[in-house]
Amino acid sequence: MQAKANALRQGFIRCHDCGYLVKTVDQPSTCPRCDSHLHARHPHSLQRTTAFLFSSFLLYIPANVFPIMTVNQFGAGDAHTIAGGIVELIDSGMIPIGMLVLVASILVPSSKLIGIGLLLLCAHFRWQINARRWTVMYRIIAFVGRWSMLDIFMISILVDLVDFGGIQIIAGPAATAFAAVVILTMFAAENFDPRLLWDNQKNL
Amino acid sequence: MNSTNYDACPECDLLLKPAQPKLGEKVHCPRCGLLLSRPRKQSIERTFALSIAGFILFFPANLLPMVGLTVLGNANTGILISGVIALYNDGMEAVAIVVFLASILFPLVHLCLSLLISGHLYFNCPNRYLVAWMRWMHHLDEWVMLEVYMLGIIVACVKLMAIAPLKLGWGLYAFIALIIITTMLTSSLDNRLFWLRIEQLGKESKNAS
Ligand SMILES: [Zn+2]
Ligand SMILES: [Zn+2]
Repeated sequence: MQAKANALRQGFIRCHDCGYLVKTVDQPSTCPRCDSHLHARHPHSLQRTTAFLFSSFLLYIPANVFPIMTVNQFGAGDAHTIAGGIVELIDSGMIPIGMLVLVASILVPSSKLIGIGLLLLCAHFRWQINARRWTVMYRIIAFVGRWSMLDIFMISILVDLVDFGGIQIIAGPAATAFAAVVILTMFAAENFDPRLLWDNQKNL
Repeated sequence: MNSTNYDACPECDLLLKPAQPKLGEKVHCPRCGLLLSRPRKQSIERTFALSIAGFILFFPANLLPMVGLTVLGNANTGILISGVIALYNDGMEAVAIVVFLASILFPLVHLCLSLLISGHLYFNCPNRYLVAWMRWMHHLDEWVMLEVYMLGIIVACVKLMAIAPLKLGWGLYAFIALIIITTMLTSSLDNRLFWLRIEQLGKESKNAS
């Protein structure tokens, strides 16, 4: 079954932007259809992903330790961390919304950090794995990443609306760190090339 | 260069013979299961119509008040940009810029690009920038976060209801309509078909000149 092999091994490069297949014997550097640079695999995929992943790991700590917003009520400040905000939602009986925020701002970022880490290890050490299952994991990671911005958008609305004489909500330093974590993990996922997982499988 | 006889899966690099799916059929990669193509009925016409609708809705969604809150007789109303300004004034410039890009600028640019591209394809009008627009749109896809913003509004409303009565404004309804339109837009846009048509248009204009 000839058609069941990697396109690269059969001498084709797929344009990342438009999907055009180019023969490698022509040694083209740009895509004939859309003029973007051709790469068989994302350039420096593992290095770039590692760099983005490490930066987001580091920022993940201040994002969870520092307050993400402070509620000032008649002079008394009440600082909330990400976890504190969720506990408060659940305490006040808003369990479904609390779960939603729990998933979006704690479960998704942390499982994303672990998941991309595992993908990197797998690609780097050429583990023999079920590549299909790992590709699906990659796909889920790449899809859910953006939903973590929910917390940041919520804060922008709260900061805007709750600004009265006595009561005020102010965004805290964790908001910057958290937004950076979300964006950096999105970059990390974008730079990881799942085709590396398939390249490493010996028995395909 | 006759390389279009084949196709490759973007996520596992499997070399494939391009399937010719009928309308309503889905083609998945046999090796990794990725959805490869899903042809849409009248993709260009629909994308064009939805882009116009989205472009028109963008303005009420951004300019009319979305949510109002009244505390002790003082009323505050919020729109998309006022949240950005409030963050900026709090000294959170970086976060303000991120919110501005993901909820206002990128969605607008994305709508303009899909309007331009589908308009040119609809009227069979070649343009040398079509290719660049198509690539920008492809790269912007992930950074348009209107649906995420909507969830943010819902959570914020739940939190605010505990403080004071809320008033939902026309801006919010326009925003919800805008999200429905952009979701339909994404699903009606057939990437493969668009690239093929752009390629054809480019060839035709080259032959004509
Ligand atoms: Zn291309
Ligand atoms: Zn595949």
